[in-house]
Amino acid sequence: MRLVGKWSSCDASLKLSAHPVSSAVSWSGRSVACEMPRSAHRQHASHDGSGSDQDKNHVHAWLFRQSLVGSGGVKIKAMSSSDQSPASTPASGTAEPPPPPGRPTAVSSQVLDMGAQMVQALKPVRNMKQHACSFALYSHDLRRQLEVHHFVSRLNQDVLQCAVYDSDEPSARLIGVEYIVSDAIFEGLPAEEQRLWHSHAYEVKAGLATDVGVPEQLQRLEMAGLAKTYGKMWLTWQVDRGDALPLGAPALMVSPQAAEPGRARDELVRARDEKYGVDSSAGGLKAARVEMEEPEWINPNADYWRLHGKGFAVDVVPAEMRRHAPFP
Amino acid sequence: MASSDEKPLPTPASAAAAGAAAAPPGQPTTVASQVLDMGAAAMQSLRPVKQVKQHVCTFALYAHDPKRQVETHHYVARLNQDVLQCAVYDSDAPDARLIGVEYIVSRKVFESLPAEEQKLWHSHAHEIKSGLWACPRVPGMLEKPELDHLAGTLGKFWCTWQVDRGDRLPLGAPALMVSPQADPAATVRPDLVRRRDDRYGFSTEELRAARADVDAPAEEHPGQADYWLRRRKGFAVDVVPHEMKRHAPFP
Repeated sequence: MRLVGKWSSCDASLKLSAHPVSSAVSWSGRSVACEMPRSAHRQHASHDGSGSDQDKNHVHAWLFRQSLVGSGGVKIKAMSSSDQSPASTPASGTAEPPPPPGRPTAVSSQVLDMGAQMVQALKPVRNMKQHACSFALYSHDLRRQLEVHHFVSRLNQDVLQCAVYDSDEPSARLIGVEYIVSDAIFEGLPAEEQRLWHSHAYEVKAGLATDVGVPEQLQRLEMAGLAKTYGKMWLTWQVDRGDALPLGAPALMVSPQAAEPGRARDELVRARDEKYGVDSSAGGLKAARVEMEEPEWINPNADYWRLHGKGFAVDVVPAEMRRHAPFP
Repeated sequence: MASSDEKPLPTPASAAAAGAAAAPPGQPTTVASQVLDMGAAAMQSLRPVKQVKQHVCTFALYAHDPKRQVETHHYVARLNQDVLQCAVYDSDAPDARLIGVEYIVSRKVFESLPAEEQKLWHSHAHEIKSGLWACPRVPGMLEKPELDHLAGTLGKFWCTWQVDRGDRLPLGAPALMVSPQADPAATVRPDLVRRRDDRYGFSTEELRAARADVDAPAEEHPGQADYWLRRRKGFAVDVVPHEMKRHAPFP
């Protein structure tokens, strides 16, 4: 069992609840409560009981969890993004994931796809005009790293949104989403939100993040802009652990940094560089980008793990449904 | 920081009023960026994105609070006949916000999932038969075989941007979504449906009638799918600080 301190959705104090974890995760031997900084106590501006709900029969999500974990031996299997691997099934493997189970696409489906394409504009998707490749690390386990392919669309000069894939092949799996905002926008976010975000300066200047197939001179401006941004990435398909299908909870991802344990592994970077003809070595992109402006200051709330030694895991927990009046 | 938080702290990022969120804060896209986008698009193949061939408009409910409902626009790509992946947006316009990801699998694939995993998935039969699930502009005849297949599928949908509570930026944890069902607790609000119908100029009622002959599977909620309907417990997503895994330093 692992004791986890969590910020509850509706309570100001730090609640401890026990989560069973898979046996592959070793018990660290200390209660997390000792490590939690006092600043972990949060005031949540909004309480579940406030707002428009008139129903007095509300049961708060955290109360429910509390009651389940209070009695010893009662297990709630919280489906956590940090689970080593879910129960082994045809879906979860140990290596490079096999293609998803299923039959080859039927002719009738292809016919529909062709027909749909002729009459549907697919505008949001057409708005993805840029392909950038980089690396992402799991917030709760920086050793787990993967090459990611971002297909970027611009909402405005300060906000980008990316569909993230595990390759640039037609068979690429959609493995998550990333949102990217300028530093000006980032500063406007509440501190608690900022902790879920990561900075981009290092990965851009180190040549880890790059537009694929675009000459450096043409992407300079874009990369220089990106160096000053912050991103928030949720991974919904953990392909690096060999899952043949998307299993479990979404995982929060962070960006590679200069300092261990957040460095991108050499062999991962080498493999990417070879495949895409990228030179991210000291003589290559790093040298080309040495003049690139670095942000003067990176908000200390971003890249939370660097200062606090803690990542974020995502738990999916059963919650009592909010009751409400039946529809008229 | 839970997906079930009513509203994150008020900031420039979240609008005061509930309902559809205003556009994200920020400067309009500069010409330089547009030029770059055009240049990049000319040189890059963008193959994964080109696999998206279909647009579906439907509705989804938050697993922890099914009163909260959103119209969703799924941009569907096939990995194979049994597994689909969708980038989900809040509209079909070029400036639509990417609000999440949905995976759709056939019944056979679903049955191979462990029970714990199945709880996170929802069935599609009801939303298809009721006409809520719509492929704008695709003729009925063309979509019929597809709907027969889709009626038996199950989906898992993570919403990463809660636009219905007025968030101008994606805040907080991802939320698990569930599908509309026949149960009164899972009914989509008529005003949402009407607004969608008016915009596209079709009628959900008529779609429902047209789909009378779509094969819905006998067992509507296989395994642990639509867990909330039976147990009246939704799933909320919490993001919790987690001790970093210790490991040997790299050699």
